[in-house]
Amino acid sequence: MKKEDTVKLISAEGFEFVIDKNAAMVSQTIRNMLTSPGDFAETEHQEVTFPEISTTILEKICQYFYWSLQYASGKETEFHIEPELTLELMMAANYLHT
Amino acid sequence: MSSQKKRNFQIEAFKHRVVVDPKYAEKTWKILEHAIHEIYNHNASGLSFEELYRNAYNMVLHKFGEKLYSGLVSTMTLHLKEIAASVDASQGPLFLEELNRKWMEHNKALQMIRDILMYMDRTFIPSTHKTPVHELGLNLWRDNIIHSINIQTRLKDTLLEIVQKERGGEVINKGLMRNIVKMLMDLGPTVYQNDFEKPFLDVSATFYRGESQQFIECCDCGDYLKKAEKRLNEEIERVSHYLDAKSEVKITNVVEKEMIETQMTRLVHMENSGLVNMIVDDKYEDLSRMYNLFRRVPTGLMLIRDVMTSHIRETGKQLVTDPERLKDPVDFVQRLLDEKDKHDKIINLAFNNDKTFQNALNSSFEYFINLNPRSPEFISLFVDDKLRKGLKGVSEEDVEIVLDKVMMLFRYLQEKDVFEKYYKQHLAKRLLSGKSVSEDAERSLILKLKTECGYQFTSKLEGMFTDMKTSQDTMQGFYEAMGPALSDGPTLTVHVLTTGSWPTQSTTTCNLPPEILSVCDKFRTYYLGTHNGRRLTWQTNMGSADIKATFARGQKHELNVSTYQMCVLMLFNNADRLSYKEIEQAVEIPAMELKRCLQSLACAKGKNVLRKEPMSKDIGEDDEFYFNDKFSSKFYKVKIGTVVAQKESEPEKQETRQRVEEDRKPQIEAAIVRIMKARRVLDHNNIVAEVTKQLQSRFLPNPVVIKKRIESLIEREFLERDREDRKLYRYLA
Repeated sequence: MKKEDTVKLISAEGFEFVIDKNAAMVSQTIRNMLTSPGDFAETEHQEVTFPEISTTILEKICQYFYWSLQYASGKETEFHIEPELTLELMMAANYLHT
Repeated sequence: MSSQKKRNFQIEAFKHRVVVDPKYAEKTWKILEHAIHEIYNHNASGLSFEELYRNAYNMVLHKFGEKLYSGLVSTMTLHLKEIAASVDASQGPLFLEELNRKWMEHNKALQMIRDILMYMDRTFIPSTHKTPVHELGLNLWRDNIIHSINIQTRLKDTLLEIVQKERGGEVINKGLMRNIVKMLMDLGPTVYQNDFEKPFLDVSATFYRGESQQFIECCDCGDYLKKAEKRLNEEIERVSHYLDAKSEVKITNVVEKEMIETQMTRLVHMENSGLVNMIVDDKYEDLSRMYNLFRRVPTGLMLIRDVMTSHIRETGKQLVTDPERLKDPVDFVQRLLDEKDKHDKIINLAFNNDKTFQNALNSSFEYFINLNPRSPEFISLFVDDKLRKGLKGVSEEDVEIVLDKVMMLFRYLQEKDVFEKYYKQHLAKRLLSGKSVSEDAERSLILKLKTECGYQFTSKLEGMFTDMKTSQDTMQGFYEAMGPALSDGPTLTVHVLTTGSWPTQSTTTCNLPPEILSVCDKFRTYYLGTHNGRRLTWQTNMGSADIKATFARGQKHELNVSTYQMCVLMLFNNADRLSYKEIEQAVEIPAMELKRCLQSLACAKGKNVLRKEPMSKDIGEDDEFYFNDKFSSKFYKVKIGTVVAQKESEPEKQETRQRVEEDRKPQIEAAIVRIMKARRVLDHNNIVAEVTKQLQSRFLPNPVVIKKRIESLIEREFLERDREDRKLYRYLA
């Protein structure tokens, strides 16, 4: 995987997730961060820090990005979410505009 | 995000910071405000998108959306005011560039601001019905920059000035223009229209009004049109280069109105270069240009068409009424055809084959061809000339082309029955003298006439062909039957003509020489022997003969002469000198014909087989005739023409006219009866109208004649007048 095709997402605890750019861009917010004109720090370093998202949730989110890329076209598969994560995940989704 | 089945549900503690700090909103806004300033100052590289986004997100989440929004408006306005000042301060030509640069920057900043405030755009703005960030940015730009007092007029004037420069031939920065105009369009259609398009159209109208005035004074029509076309194309190109596509119609309308519509009448009638001159000189390019330009304005084509029509009518009228032209019918028709070809070509090449123009051309021809009552005769003579000699050695296709052209003229004729009369006469002459070049061509034309006018029209013509054919067979049979009995007499060829099919000629007497007479009698006996109950009369006025004559020094010639001439010449076998009276007594040819015949024998230079005393052009009652044994010719065969006017003489014309009128009577009556049979009761005017309609494919009946026919039908009790309403007629079965 080429460096320029990936992006680094960093959780509140400092965990780094390196994922495909187009997977990350499932999130409208991340897409804006990476493509907005002008040189925001995120665009420059190709990494985004989320001080309010925990590692667990960010991991789930990354999983969702890939799932979405693969199945969003309407295939009948389920994305498994542990009930205890639901609320936080929904809030993160709102934040990330996913 | 899709959620899972609910089991073991447990709500975790809210992780976002709960606002405790009353100054939280103020603080957060300060961060964002700072960021906006940085963005406008091109200092954004150090900023964290995530942080700004999170702050804006939290502000909206914690019900400080209103504060965020109003803060944005005031901050942006502040920056825009600064920009306005800097644009305003830019010097002369740099003004547009500065404006454009600032506009680009503003766009970029706006994009960034919108991105970090996206959460507000998504949630707060729709729920409070505020203007979304991007649109807000454009509106603020419009109000603070474009509509600021200093900039608004300056911008407009600058743009118009640049357009004017380009019209004057200067090279301008099209890219910059496109960007600025694009900016106006981005700010909304009304901005573009009010701040640019409207004044642009006004200025253009004034400009073109002036220019068209100037051009029309100093250019001829062709040049003017060239210039107008160039201007029009320039404007269209301008639109495609840097204006809104919707402006094209508007600006071309302006050019059309100012350069074409207001000047077109003057252009068309321009002396020495107007439409008529173009047509006369076959200026296809100029005509085409005029057509394409005038087509753009509502009455443009009508104007061209009207002027063209009146021109064609005028020249046509001159052509058909010019007494000089009437002397040569073939040339007359050829000129008509040339005229038609010329205009066909113009319509084809320059007027886009416009149907309405073709119709105008046709109606013009119809109009002026029928101005001359002799047109039908001349057209028939033209065909006669073509079929006699004109088509010799011409390929079949070319023959068809000529015939088609003739048919086209024929279609214009109102008195088609007159044409038929003449055609029949001319055809008869061709057939009997064996002068027709090609039977195929003859038949082809008859077929065309048939498709045009129906079976009735040509049945007699076809009958003539049939007669010719059967005559051939009859002659063959005759010679086979008679065999050697005829071997040393003259060879006789008889055409048996059915009465009615052929043009009727009053039978004239003529004493045939005894040699001929005996053969004729043999034929009569033979023919009546095979065909019972028929009557044969000799049409000596239509025949011809080949006779061999020996002149001085033993020179022999074969003379091709008419039957009358043959009779006269045969007399000189037994006499050297005969007086007019003696000849007349011997042959009993009507005086008119005899004079003609003698004239051609004695007076034609180089072909005078007879000599006459006294020498003069005309034949007198007391003249004497000798055999001219000094006659000589380069050719063995000599054709002695008869002095016949190719055209009809005045009395003959009257006679034909009368015959035509006579023939029309039964046709009109038949039409009246047909109509009345169907309608039972009809008033006078309607009958006239219907009869005219029914007969117009053959001729235009005169209402007076129709009235007379109705009266005659009433007399013969086909119709009666209604007892109460005298205008009504009833049909009596």
